[in-house]
Amino acid sequence: MNDALFSQLTTLGSSVILLYGFTLLWRKSLHAYTVAFQWQSVMLTGLFLIIGYFGHDVELYLVAGFLFILKVLILPRYLGKLEQRFPGERESRPYVNVATSLVVAGLLVLLAYAITRPLVLVSDLPTRGGLPLAVGLIFVGLFVIITRKKALTQIVGFLVMENGIALLAVLGTYGIPLIIELGVFLDVLMGFLVMQVFVYHIHDTFESIDVDQLNELRH
Amino acid sequence: MTIVLFLVMIAAYGFGAFVALLGGRGPIGRWLVAAGAVIGAGAGCAFGAVVIISGQPFTLSIPELLPIAGGLALRLDPLGAFFLVVIGVGAIPAAIYGAGYTKAYENGRASLRLLGVMFNLFLLAMSLVTLADNVLTFLLMWEGMSLTSYFLVITESSEDGTLRAGNWYAAMTHAGLALLLAAFVLLMNGGAGAFADLRSSAGTLSPEARNLIFVLALLGFGSKAGIVPLHVWLPRAHPAAPSHVSALMSGVMIKLGVYGLLRVALDLLGGGPSWWGALVLGLGVASALLGVLYALMEHDLKRLLAYHSVENIGIIFIGLGAGLIFHSSHLMTLAALGFIGGLYHTINHASFKGLLFLGAGSVLHATGTRNMEEMGGLIKRMPWTALFFLVGSAAISALPPLNGFASEWLVFQSLLGGLNLPAPEIALTIPLAVGMLALTSGLAAACFVKAFGISFLAIPRSHEAENAHESPLSMRVGMMILALACVALGLAPFAVVPVLGGVLAGLGGLPDTRPVFTLDLSVHAPAGFAQISPTWIALGLLILLVLVPLVMRFMRVNRKLRVGDTWGCGRIGQTPRMEYTATSFAEPLRRVFAELYRPTKELSIDFHPESKYFVKSIKYSSRITPLFDRVLYDPLLRLVQRISRQVRRIQAGSLHLYLMYVAVILILLLIAARWF
Repeated sequence: MNDALFSQLTTLGSSVILLYGFTLLWRKSLHAYTVAFQWQSVMLTGLFLIIGYFGHDVELYLVAGFLFILKVLILPRYLGKLEQRFPGERESRPYVNVATSLVVAGLLVLLAYAITRPLVLVSDLPTRGGLPLAVGLIFVGLFVIITRKKALTQIVGFLVMENGIALLAVLGTYGIPLIIELGVFLDVLMGFLVMQVFVYHIHDTFESIDVDQLNELRH
Repeated sequence: MTIVLFLVMIAAYGFGAFVALLGGRGPIGRWLVAAGAVIGAGAGCAFGAVVIISGQPFTLSIPELLPIAGGLALRLDPLGAFFLVVIGVGAIPAAIYGAGYTKAYENGRASLRLLGVMFNLFLLAMSLVTLADNVLTFLLMWEGMSLTSYFLVITESSEDGTLRAGNWYAAMTHAGLALLLAAFVLLMNGGAGAFADLRSSAGTLSPEARNLIFVLALLGFGSKAGIVPLHVWLPRAHPAAPSHVSALMSGVMIKLGVYGLLRVALDLLGGGPSWWGALVLGLGVASALLGVLYALMEHDLKRLLAYHSVENIGIIFIGLGAGLIFHSSHLMTLAALGFIGGLYHTINHASFKGLLFLGAGSVLHATGTRNMEEMGGLIKRMPWTALFFLVGSAAISALPPLNGFASEWLVFQSLLGGLNLPAPEIALTIPLAVGMLALTSGLAAACFVKAFGISFLAIPRSHEAENAHESPLSMRVGMMILALACVALGLAPFAVVPVLGGVLAGLGGLPDTRPVFTLDLSVHAPAGFAQISPTWIALGLLILLVLVPLVMRFMRVNRKLRVGDTWGCGRIGQTPRMEYTATSFAEPLRRVFAELYRPTKELSIDFHPESKYFVKSIKYSSRITPLFDRVLYDPLLRLVQRISRQVRRIQAGSLHLYLMYVAVILILLLIAARWF
């Protein structure tokens, strides 16, 4: 009974998290991306708490706390600042249009199911239902990075992909050791800060944050 | 005893490198760096000598230092010890010379710190190559030697073309390393790679595998030794490097290619079919002849010497090739004679080529140019350098009683022993090799008449040559040591040959030839074929060259002495433009071998507008493109460039494209892991 509930909750949570990832594909304003990422992170925090409760792992509560502070409070605030710094920048013309993007993302999730199938079959974890969704989220994040032009979108894509990796880790192992988890958080924060600096530089150089202009740097 | 010498060697090189790291500037710094190298090389030399004399190998294994593939295993047997001695013979004078020579870098033209560190590490890596007793140690030290020498080549990196020369060297040496890696992996056959295991298991390999290993090793070691057609880096890298480094690289480092070939082909594989020897012999003949022919056309003193290194490596390979041929026919005494000839020429070349490079460095130091057409008359301005260069020239031209003669004579004798071969098809090619070797020797003599005559004799061709000055004491001492070595090695073959026989005893089943080549004042070829005594020749020459003029003087035969201009020919106004030039000296040979050189000439004459009988100026230029640059390397480089241009297309410069490559590869790998 308990296990069934646990299993359903994790699958549901993972699905919601993946859905927030899809938001990036059909919304165009940077503000919407920030909000989507924020809510996705809230859901991820919730999932950590659920797994911590059912898996009897106190450490996960601590990780969830850190996650909440970093990904729900700090990063969206910085993203908001970036938005205000560059108003008017919209992801108006991505390389792949919205309809095609949604179809491709759907296919990527199917691919994720196909690839994780052996893993899901041999696993007896109650959380196994969420594994393909986590891999799917990683793919979707990668897809966003590849097909979107604005540097800000790509940053959000990277953060979403990182959420996918965290989701996969917690579903597959009930939480990696705390010290590693902290290291990963620090990495994300540092990576984000570096990228933020680059965004400013790109804007100073090209008066736009379209990454595709970078190929003018080619020798 | 040996362990102490070993530790002193390591510590001294380490000390030299450490002092250089602290700066190595100023007279004290430069001398401390040189002292590290001299003590290290001296200890190495003594270490090698002790092992050769006692015949007891030195072993040291430190598996903990590198916990993979057997770790660091060192063993010095007489063969390695001989090459350790060769390193010492080359390195001691070069280091002393370098202490004075590097003064020119104090002005910041090159980093003394880098030079000093790399110089000592280079010597250390070379020494450890001869000590390596398993594949891992050998390849590590081999690569260490290549890398450090690369940094030494690009010391004067601000000069034009130095980095390009460095690139050629790095490319060739790493291509060689790749081949060696393949050869050793095949040889290891899944084992851990201790040389003792390889020696015992080499017999169980299939003949095809053995042949493949031999060819790979020959090409790999050949690229380091500089045999044709893998010699292209020598004439580029040697002129670019500082002169004492050129002396070491040409005199010593390329010899480790010979060491490697002997180690693999004779010691580990234990010899093979007769075509192995024929191949080595053929490459040796080609290297010797082409090396000297291209040297004749060079007017850059150091490039000329670099081409002569190709020639001399060829002579060494002729000796080894003859040895391998006889070895395959079980004519062991003759085989030993061939190998002895090769090894003897190895140490001889280390001494005279080291000497010549140091001499060229002194000239470069004094005149600031390597172009022989701008030298001349240096004998009056730098008498010591001229004397030492003359000794080196005579030695490399194989004139008795100097050392080049003794070893080339031995190589000839071993080739003449080819009459005893049972296989007629190989026995017939040997006279051809004899003829080629004879031609090579003659051309080498002609080339050094040119090198010495144009550079040191006559009247100066340029302002710089006119104001040349003798080099400082340290540089002269460095050259003097090598000049004395040339004389000593030439006068004492009766002492050297038995030592070399002892070095080779037991390798690949070679007998101990010490009883055959006895400690006599003369050297005998086996079976009473021939004998010769350089000592008696020297005595004869002494009588001829010193006593006869003295007697004539005493008898007052030629009393009228006139003092005139050199090559004055009775003219009144003598200018350098009337002199014989290096180009004109080489012109007859350029015509004779035009088929090989394919010279392109350019002649433009500017006539006076009034009459064609008056000429305002004549401009003549002629170039030759070396054969292998034309037929092998140029097409190869073009091919590589074409491929790189194709590859460049996927480097479109778009960030999204690169990210997509990553994503596609990730997905493909996941799919491959799932379904394949």
